[in-house]
Amino acid sequence: MATIMLVLMIALLVLGFPMMIPLVVAAMVGFWLSFDGFGQMNTLIQQILGGIRPASLIAVPMFILAADIMTRGHSAERLINMVMAFIGHIRGGLAVSTAASCTLFGAVSGSTQATVVAIGSPLRPRMLKAGYKDPFTLALIINSSDIAFLIPPSIGMILYGVISGTSIGELFIAGIGPGLLILLLFSIYCVIYATVKGVPTEPKASWKERVIAVRQALWPLGFPVIIVGGIYGGVFSPTEAAAACVLYAVILEFIIFRVLKPADLYAIAKSTGLVTAVVFILVGVGNAFSWILSFAQIPQTLLSGLGIYDMGANGVLIAIAIAFFIACMFVDPIVVILVLTPIFAPAVASAGIDPVLVGVLITLMVAIGSATPPFGCDIFTAIAIFKRPYWEVIRGTPPFVLMLVASAILIITFPQIALFLRDLAFA
Amino acid sequence: GCSQDTSTPAAGSGSTWLYAHEEFEGDVQDVFAHEFKNYIEANSNHQVRIYRFGELGESDDIMEQTQAGILQFVNQSPGFTGSLIPEAQIFFIPYLLPVEDEQIVEFFRTSVAINEMFGDLYAEQGLKLLTMYPEGEMVVTADTPVRSPEDFRGKNIRTMTNPLLAETYRAFGATPTPLPWGEVYGALQTNIIQGQENPIFWIQSGGLYEVSPNLIFTGHGQFTTAMMANQEFFQGLPESDRQLIREAAEHAFNYITDYVPGLGDRMLEKILQSSERVTVTRLTEEERQPFRAAAVQVEDRFVDMTGERGKALLDQFKADLRNVRSN
Amino acid sequence: MSTTSRQPSLPGILGAIDRWIGHAESLILAVGVLLMALNTIANVVGRFVFGESLFFAEEVNRILIVMITFAGIGYAARHGRHIRMSAFYDLLPVTARRILMIAIATFTAMVMFSLCYFSIGYIASTQATGRLLPTLGFPIYLIYLWVPVGFAVTGIQYSLTAYRNATSREAYLSTHVIDHYQDVDPEKQV
Ligand code: NA
Ligand code: NA
Repeated sequence: MATIMLVLMIALLVLGFPMMIPLVVAAMVGFWLSFDGFGQMNTLIQQILGGIRPASLIAVPMFILAADIMTRGHSAERLINMVMAFIGHIRGGLAVSTAASCTLFGAVSGSTQATVVAIGSPLRPRMLKAGYKDPFTLALIINSSDIAFLIPPSIGMILYGVISGTSIGELFIAGIGPGLLILLLFSIYCVIYATVKGVPTEPKASWKERVIAVRQALWPLGFPVIIVGGIYGGVFSPTEAAAACVLYAVILEFIIFRVLKPADLYAIAKSTGLVTAVVFILVGVGNAFSWILSFAQIPQTLLSGLGIYDMGANGVLIAIAIAFFIACMFVDPIVVILVLTPIFAPAVASAGIDPVLVGVLITLMVAIGSATPPFGCDIFTAIAIFKRPYWEVIRGTPPFVLMLVASAILIITFPQIALFLRDLAFA
Repeated sequence: GCSQDTSTPAAGSGSTWLYAHEEFEGDVQDVFAHEFKNYIEANSNHQVRIYRFGELGESDDIMEQTQAGILQFVNQSPGFTGSLIPEAQIFFIPYLLPVEDEQIVEFFRTSVAINEMFGDLYAEQGLKLLTMYPEGEMVVTADTPVRSPEDFRGKNIRTMTNPLLAETYRAFGATPTPLPWGEVYGALQTNIIQGQENPIFWIQSGGLYEVSPNLIFTGHGQFTTAMMANQEFFQGLPESDRQLIREAAEHAFNYITDYVPGLGDRMLEKILQSSERVTVTRLTEEERQPFRAAAVQVEDRFVDMTGERGKALLDQFKADLRNVRSN
Repeated sequence: MSTTSRQPSLPGILGAIDRWIGHAESLILAVGVLLMALNTIANVVGRFVFGESLFFAEEVNRILIVMITFAGIGYAARHGRHIRMSAFYDLLPVTARRILMIAIATFTAMVMFSLCYFSIGYIASTQATGRLLPTLGFPIYLIYLWVPVGFAVTGIQYSLTAYRNATSREAYLSTHVIDHYQDVDPEKQV
């Protein structure tokens, strides 16, 4: 049964069906085989609806809405200006600023695509003009935007938290360390690249300009304060923090910056609703798919077949890392998290691994997988947004993928990179 | 291929019966389920396969799956059954059930309300109630010890999303705050909430005492749960199998009512050993009085919500309890 | 993940109905999201200012999320916005893509219509057991009435997409959206 479901799913996926179809059709076939026909399809529907029921999921549309408002407003520009004022003039400064701005905007947005649009779109022309090669620039933007997935808020982490019953607040805090580690590695590479290629430096900002830039960026910097400070300080649950972000974004862009008009709110809410529906229908059908696997006890059979129960904690972590990495080269990260998390759950529980650590590792691996050739969702996004051919988009990625894999190894070896802040916050 | 043949009662050879509950490995419902399974498997050719929390969805989901006949047995706490059988929320009325071990076991054995009236309520939903059993006293944990409703003032106490439970904590002077289980530990740590309630084994296994170290035995509630079968399945079985199932449930009930009191003591011992900050407050009868007085308001709310049937059930409950106490 | 450009709607009375459904979908989406934001923010404010969480907030959000999801899947189908892996598809010449898209859209529509049928069955069984929303106290099946409608509308969208591909020379991702690589508007990519 598992084999039939898997083959069917991959076939439909590769043919280019909307991703809800491979999942729901595989689930339907599973139901049909398990119950000798379509007599129990009520439970398929029950599980689709059950998937979108958890109260914590409300954080997803709220963070998307806040990011949607930000992306159309002034916040991204102000964050970029502040970063540029401080590090724009060092060698590789423009590249480092791009990575840092992506990380900062990642603290506003839970989506890598929003970050690519908000930061990548304005900075790519500037980098090209400054003399950076396009493959490097594209790879930097794609991979730095993936940091947004690790830095809170993160839609991937919310989904993982809901599926695995892990605290979303703890996951958020634990993502910060690895996110900053990757930013550090990327920055070092940017400096080396600019030095080797002799990219000219930008003019240095005066202190007066810096003060102005900081003052301008203070407002958008309120988001990480609300999210991290709010959760850390016991003011908000993650869902409440998301709602507070929406309120803050509205106040900022509509009242203080006056970039957006009330009429824009309708269009923004519509776009948020669309993205939410596209994600949530996958969450629903993914839940139905997991149900039938769990009913037939396929995860246990599969995992013991792989000998994963004898691998120990590190073995399980490495197996998880590889599975998520490979799957994300083909499938959207959301779908991968939905499908694979429940499959590995029994192994995580029996090896006694901290589910927060697993969540951070999974988030990192899906980020890497989606930026890695031959197939990676981020690559196709970049092709679409920047209108560049496939080969140009992927040519610069290998060094970044190496750095990301290195950070995955570091996190497995030194879990404290992820857990240090969490333990500090929740102790 | 698909090797699992489920539930088809093939004559002669055994069938595989599916059983889902709403707790984790080693928790009370899991222990009960395994006792049931072992008895069935030792005394027949039938097999029982157990699904734990989350494997087949949430509490409401496994209930619907049992009603649909996908599962043969389900264990669901009446508190979660409230959306289906409003009367089942009677177990949330504070100070209704005794917390003393002997009394509660005797009550579950002899109560007309449980064994007859509840049986009918479940039967209306296509379920055969096999047994109800206690999982242990509800213990409140909070950021400070609590001895009176005044001590509860200003505290956000996490409750499940249930109007009657919310009413209880409102009556006790606290602010009921709904929160998903996954966020409880973190919320206690960061002080979004100042307390929660659970049986002692959950407080131990979830490590809640680490972040909410003051244990308060208010004596206001027993965490009760119910085990049932799909009615159509049960009635379709030969009498020998029905008898087997009744005996297995009886066996598991006897086992668990011995196991739970000892478990509570062991868990409290474990908690006290692993943390020095933990305090234990047991309300005296005198200290319970203001809470008991407040509980009347919850009883009224229950009757409001459930009407005549709820009222009749409540009266029978009280009559059954008088019998237990007078013995 | 293909890039898109917008095309005029279907002709005649069919087009009018189609446009009307489109407006209804976007209205539900926008209003649903705004109500959800309002409800969630009110809950936070309630907790801080009045020291009391809104107990119905969670259930209201549960109603809204079903509404948003099942109005949104139709709207996403209309605009060709469901997530798909198009790597292999994109390698094909236009005619092959057009034929494949007819197959994809037809099959997807069939799946959507079956889900519509199954969800009517589920609603009937939920109505039979009389399950209620714990706090708001009205029957749960009412909040699921959107579900079969959403599946049906999505199924119709994909049927029309199949029809559009069968009657055009270009490959269409949806009734409105031609599949090609020029004229990208990043604002619409989110
Ligand atoms: Na983020
Ligand atoms: Na990604």
